[in-house]
Amino acid sequence: MSTGILTVDRLSKNFRGLAAIAEVSFAIQPRSITSIIGPNGAGKSTLFNLITGYVEPSAGEIHFHGRRITGLATNRIAELGIARAFQIARPFRDLSVHENVRIGALFGKAGARDVAATTGKSLELAGIGHLAQQPANALTVGQLRHLEVARAIATRGDLLLADEPCAGLNPTETAAMIDVLRRVRADGVTVVLVEHDMPSVMEISDRILVLDAGRLIADGAPAEVASNPQVIAAYLGSPEPEAA
Amino acid sequence: MKLNPTQTLLAMLAAAVILAFGPLVLPPFYVRVGQLMVYSAGLAVAWAILGGFAGYASFGNAAFIGVGAFAAGLVEGNISGIAPPLLLLVGLVVGGACCGVLSAAISYPILRLRGTFFAIAMLGVSHVCAEVTNNIDFFQGSLGLNFPSVVPGDIDPANYFYWLYLAGGLAVLLIAWQIRRSRFGAGLLSIREDEDTARMLGVPTERYKRLAFVISAVLTGMLGVIYGHSLGYITTESVYRDDTNLSLIVYSMLGGMGTLFGPVIGAFALVFITQVLLARLLDFHLFATGLLLVILVLAAPGGVLGVTRSFSLRRRPSPVAAE
Amino acid sequence: MNLIAQTLADGLVLGGIYALAAVGFSLIFGVLHVINLSHGILVLLGAYLALIVSQTLHVDPLLTIPVVMVALFGAGYCYQRFLIQRAVDRSALGSMLLTFGVALMLQNIMIWVFSPDMKNITPSYAFSSFRLGSVTFDAVRMSALVASLVLLSLLAAFLKFSPLGRVIRATAQQTLAARLCGVNVHHVYALTFAVSAAFAGAAGIVIGIILPFSPSDEALWTMNAFVVVVLGGVGSPAGALIGGLLLGVVNTLTAQYIGPSFPNVTMFLLLVLLLLVRPTGILGNAFSPSR
Repeated sequence: MSTGILTVDRLSKNFRGLAAIAEVSFAIQPRSITSIIGPNGAGKSTLFNLITGYVEPSAGEIHFHGRRITGLATNRIAELGIARAFQIARPFRDLSVHENVRIGALFGKAGARDVAATTGKSLELAGIGHLAQQPANALTVGQLRHLEVARAIATRGDLLLADEPCAGLNPTETAAMIDVLRRVRADGVTVVLVEHDMPSVMEISDRILVLDAGRLIADGAPAEVASNPQVIAAYLGSPEPEAA
Repeated sequence: MKLNPTQTLLAMLAAAVILAFGPLVLPPFYVRVGQLMVYSAGLAVAWAILGGFAGYASFGNAAFIGVGAFAAGLVEGNISGIAPPLLLLVGLVVGGACCGVLSAAISYPILRLRGTFFAIAMLGVSHVCAEVTNNIDFFQGSLGLNFPSVVPGDIDPANYFYWLYLAGGLAVLLIAWQIRRSRFGAGLLSIREDEDTARMLGVPTERYKRLAFVISAVLTGMLGVIYGHSLGYITTESVYRDDTNLSLIVYSMLGGMGTLFGPVIGAFALVFITQVLLARLLDFHLFATGLLLVILVLAAPGGVLGVTRSFSLRRRPSPVAAE
Repeated sequence: MNLIAQTLADGLVLGGIYALAAVGFSLIFGVLHVINLSHGILVLLGAYLALIVSQTLHVDPLLTIPVVMVALFGAGYCYQRFLIQRAVDRSALGSMLLTFGVALMLQNIMIWVFSPDMKNITPSYAFSSFRLGSVTFDAVRMSALVASLVLLSLLAAFLKFSPLGRVIRATAQQTLAARLCGVNVHHVYALTFAVSAAFAGAAGIVIGIILPFSPSDEALWTMNAFVVVVLGGVGSPAGALIGGLLLGVVNTLTAQYIGPSFPNVTMFLLLVLLLLVRPTGILGNAFSPSR
């Protein structure tokens, strides 16, 4: 297997005997945008939870920059440079947008160096510089997603895991989010996203991984994956697209 | 009206200097009330380092008052032949150290609990410490423990302890202020807001919580040492008090949860209300305190400062980072 | 051996009563997520009401259970609907402090009305007892235990089979879904609180016939309920029974073999140990959906 910024090797997770992730292996190339897709319950969020140390794997290894991170505490993994934006935005509601992002810049890989500059830059990259002084609980759903991304990249992680950043957004907001992710990548950050909005996925991804029932069933460029019969079967097999 | 750090520091020092003149102009009764105000404010700020900043509201900080006071009293009683101020210093170190060790030891299990579970578990800790102090003869909790006098000969003890509380309270406030401004303080704030997200951002939540818990306990214990000295003679009941456990939460609720000066304002206000306004209504005391609590929860859940803060936030949002 | 058997038997009897005294607290915590610090005062209210009713009517204290339960049901409904509900949605700490404030006020009122002295409800069979093998059971404690177990079973059956019980459980599990299904959540909360208060009152009667009580005991019964709930898990009568029995046995064993002055110490050591092993209690949260 080629080495990448993130290598996942035969990773498995069972919940009470049920395999949520089964022997999944892949490597993520630096400065790429990779999308993970798959029907409802395929194990996409579990995969993110495993990578960020939120959940311990039943078997398998995860390496980040060649270093084994399996079993490390969540905050240690964040300090090494993996940042995560949640699907359901979880801002610090009592704080302003600026303070939210500032806390990211104080911790993570940023480790409190150049806090003001990092905070400002992250706000601009995420396109919410003009909202900096707003209280976080005054933001719209779309703006909260941007805040989520801004706070995550303020940690100066070089791998951003974004959990359905476009779910529930209207076309204009979706386009804006795709713009943000591109800018983030241009800034040198590797992006992995879980996403359902297929047009967005096709447009932005260098590579797509397809999970079905905890197994990796396809891995390749968008065009390849779209024509893969196994993928089509998995998607047609699921009765309805996943609700956010 | 945002103060920069220098202005904040000067404001705090100026307020302390003004308060220091209290005993020179006030009648004795009000000096005693003043003692209690300043002491309570110090305890309230120490409580708020964990309870207000990190959102772990302890319902049992009297445990540290008691442990600090008894540890200091037992050690000081066995030391002879050193100057009174030095004796007090020994007491402060011993009391603080004991609270530090105790809080560090219980922090592992107890900080796994969140919200109300943590609150009640701390109440349990307070009761257990009281029971142990009361039932093991070595601690002399049921018999009572005498403190050697540390008051310099020519000063009125009431004034002396007033100033001692004031110095202690100011020290606690300055420590809390520095924590609030630091990376550590920002981390505590993020823990209060959303502990899981904080960890995801790389905040060492476990270490920060434990550190805040220990700092809060040590400061509380040292104030407890002064309290023991000011009473001169303590029993289990006089230091492990459930009304103290309750009051510490109420001060912050009244003044504004999570703010720096809220606990101070809350403590001053509540002590004044209970000691001066309700002083004659002894039979009525529990009822009045209960009623106040009910009104407080229903009318001003954000506290007095909280109400004004949310109001100013609406009009002119500003970074709260430098409180 | 004989002593151990007697101690265990005493512990189980006491534990059954602890369970009844805690089940209402557990229910409120499970459904409303409120720590009701006025639970102990509701228990005492039941005891004092039973004292008054049984003395004026000259009836057996256990016969006052229906009257007391109805009275506390009504009081509990109003208490939740008009006071606690206003704080429930704000913060867990707020509602907890509100109930604490009410507890202080009621305690003060009880001191005015009933004096701060210890009181006792003495049934006619106060001094009879019987033996089973080498273990002695006195009639009062046995009747208290039987009453506790019957009431706990009734509550369990009520929650499991009655329509209202089902609505209560549904609301506890999925508040939003219940609301969408047309459940008046505030009404259900108030009814839950009313049921809880009624059982607290019944527990007060049972406690009153075996132990002396005074207004300052309220904190003890609240703390006991809290420990029982943590030991046994939230929200179910079965959990309360397990937690109660465990606490009862631990208390009597401690008093017998370590010394009568350390009940809190052993209780909280047990509590901390348990929380280390299972932060949700032995049975976990009976109402929360399994994941």
